[in-house]
Amino acid sequence: MESKNKGKDFGMFALPGMFCFFAVVIVPFVYGIYLTLTDWNGVSKVKHFIGLKNFAGVVKDTQFWTSLLLTFKYVILVVVLVNVLAFAIAYLLTRGIKGQNFFRAGFFTPNLIGGIVLGYIWQFVFSRVFVNIGEATGWSLFEISWLSDPNKAFAALVLVSVWQLSGYMILIYVAGFMGLSEDVMEAASIDGASGWIKLKNIIMPLMMSSVTICLFLTLSRAFMVYDVNLSLTAGAPYGTTEMAAMHVYEKAFTSRQFGVGQAEALILFIIVACISGIQGYMTKKQEVVA
Amino acid sequence: MKKSLATRILSASLAAAFACTMLTGCRFGYASDPDDPNEEEKKEPIDTSVDTFEYDSSLEGTSITLLNSKAEIQVALGEMAAAFEEKSGVHVEVMPVTDGDSPYTKVVSMYNSGSAPTLSILDTTDVIALAEEKAEDLSDEKWLAEAEEYLTEVNGKVYSFPLCIEGRGLIYNKAVIDSVLGEEFDPESITTQSEFVEFLDKLAEKGMKRSMSLAKEDWSLGAHHLQYIYETSDGTSEGAQECIEKIKSGKIDLDSYDRLSEFLDMFDVIKKYNVAQGDPLGADYDEMAIDLVDGKTALWFNGNWAWPNLEEAGADEEDEYGFLPYFMNDDKGDFVNQKIQASPSKQVMLDGQLATEDQKAAAKEFLNWIVYSEIGQQMLVKTCKIIPPFQNNPYEPSDPLSRDIYEKVHAGKVFNASAIVPNDHWSVLGAAMQKYLAGRSDREELTESIQDYWGEQE
Repeated sequence: MESKNKGKDFGMFALPGMFCFFAVVIVPFVYGIYLTLTDWNGVSKVKHFIGLKNFAGVVKDTQFWTSLLLTFKYVILVVVLVNVLAFAIAYLLTRGIKGQNFFRAGFFTPNLIGGIVLGYIWQFVFSRVFVNIGEATGWSLFEISWLSDPNKAFAALVLVSVWQLSGYMILIYVAGFMGLSEDVMEAASIDGASGWIKLKNIIMPLMMSSVTICLFLTLSRAFMVYDVNLSLTAGAPYGTTEMAAMHVYEKAFTSRQFGVGQAEALILFIIVACISGIQGYMTKKQEVVA
Repeated sequence: MKKSLATRILSASLAAAFACTMLTGCRFGYASDPDDPNEEEKKEPIDTSVDTFEYDSSLEGTSITLLNSKAEIQVALGEMAAAFEEKSGVHVEVMPVTDGDSPYTKVVSMYNSGSAPTLSILDTTDVIALAEEKAEDLSDEKWLAEAEEYLTEVNGKVYSFPLCIEGRGLIYNKAVIDSVLGEEFDPESITTQSEFVEFLDKLAEKGMKRSMSLAKEDWSLGAHHLQYIYETSDGTSEGAQECIEKIKSGKIDLDSYDRLSEFLDMFDVIKKYNVAQGDPLGADYDEMAIDLVDGKTALWFNGNWAWPNLEEAGADEEDEYGFLPYFMNDDKGDFVNQKIQASPSKQVMLDGQLATEDQKAAAKEFLNWIVYSEIGQQMLVKTCKIIPPFQNNPYEPSDPLSRDIYEKVHAGKVFNASAIVPNDHWSVLGAAMQKYLAGRSDREELTESIQDYWGEQE
């Protein structure tokens, strides 16, 4: 009797969701893996099974490894900067300063602008506004467009991503800070903990669940960055700011090497899955309950 | 008290922010404001009184789709489709390729989802990639005879309809040159690279120190500049193909290939007189059009597709703009110094896989209508502002750039060569060219990149 009910419940509540999940995530994913083993070019009717040849193509594609390395650099910078910044701002915005709701909304706004639009706005800022400021003031930092120098273009990319992502993370951290129990804080104060000690020994452990979420979100978003990359630099100058996701797209659709592109996407997926998995496990272990 | 201070700071900073935006607004606003609401869109009237085209009445009610990858004619195509529907009863739905999608990606994804467009406007490389797999054979169509030199063949068969001729070279603004030189400028007077450099020096002497705009976009550098090395091999598409095969097989050694070094000589000249020399990779495309129109520069390397940009920047159809060739050496007898490159660029492909027989017939009628009906002929030239590749079309384009190419085509002053290169040629070698342009690589490194690129192709 009970098992029959379970079947019905499953059918009613889980099946529609499961079906969608299978149709749009699992099936394409498995099909994608299958495509890495064929020579399909995206158009032809016949697909030939060619084994691991596409993966050999990936190994030979030096540009992919360069862009992957660049992506790692980008991810490290973005994850660290976003989380430190968001944590600090969230800390300040829960201290009861004047107009904190206004500031919370203000910091969150960039997150509401789509990545493509945001990229174009900043492109204008970097290549026109800053250059004009540079001309007017003679500051050598802004003399030439940031986007025409490989290192500065990369810095611009990090800067814009941090600006965009921080807002969302601030929101999560703010929620975390609001959830901190006043009793515990008070107890800590009475025990003589203050400032740095309190932050390190009391607040941080209690905030770990927020940290877990934020790290996971920033990690996966930074690894898969495409929109900002496309609209802000599009790989310019001369392909030096092309991130892994963009390279995969270019490989599959511009170079029309569908199999190799798909194989690179799979490799990227495995890397992101492993790193996020390890991160989740490690930070979860740090979580405590007050 | 405290609160009022905060409010004051807030309002002050807001005011400052507004002031900044207003200032920057002024900084970027030009005398020739492109978005003047009072300006009326000029439209050339279409004479529909005469129409000798025979419509097939059995096709009435058929509905076909047209995928358009030429964004600037989206509205015009819609008008054309409406005019055609009125006469023939065939509904043509014009779908745009949205910004950011490549036409090829779009059409392939439409095929994969089983909803392919009946007709699609694509680049020649795309047509060649898709032709045998997806396209309908058009070798028996009547209009082939009207566009003989402009057909693209794949293994001896024609799968596509040439929609327009496009050409490129150094666009000059005659009025600006006249006023800087203080005398009438005769574009024909320059016939070699040295003479061209002399001309630039003269402009410099008279006050226009750097007179050229050079786009940093990879499609411009990788396709429009660099492809001269294949296309000038002998000035024909076949010659360009042969040249590419020879580079691939190593029969042409790029280190000692004349056309490459000549091309780079010319590129160096442009580089030297580039108005954005301080930061060539920071040059802004829209600003180049404005500079040329406002007279900050006198020359811009581009094609006739740049007209809408110039028009937006304030140029009028009565103004004198035209093309100079890409001077590659000092030989007066060499065609590259006398002719500009012009060839069919966009092609219309008819779906042979998913379209019904009725749809195919309707689509063929639409293509024939463009070539043979008086209305179609007019609309192609006047509404779409296209240079028609069809000999029987008596209408002349109205904008100065297209008109210049049209006149040059009729005077035999163009060479019709377009190199068919792999799809990522522009992006991979465009990046190599950007590096060269920025002065971060030398000729040797650039040559090596080209060599490597072709070495990797199968």
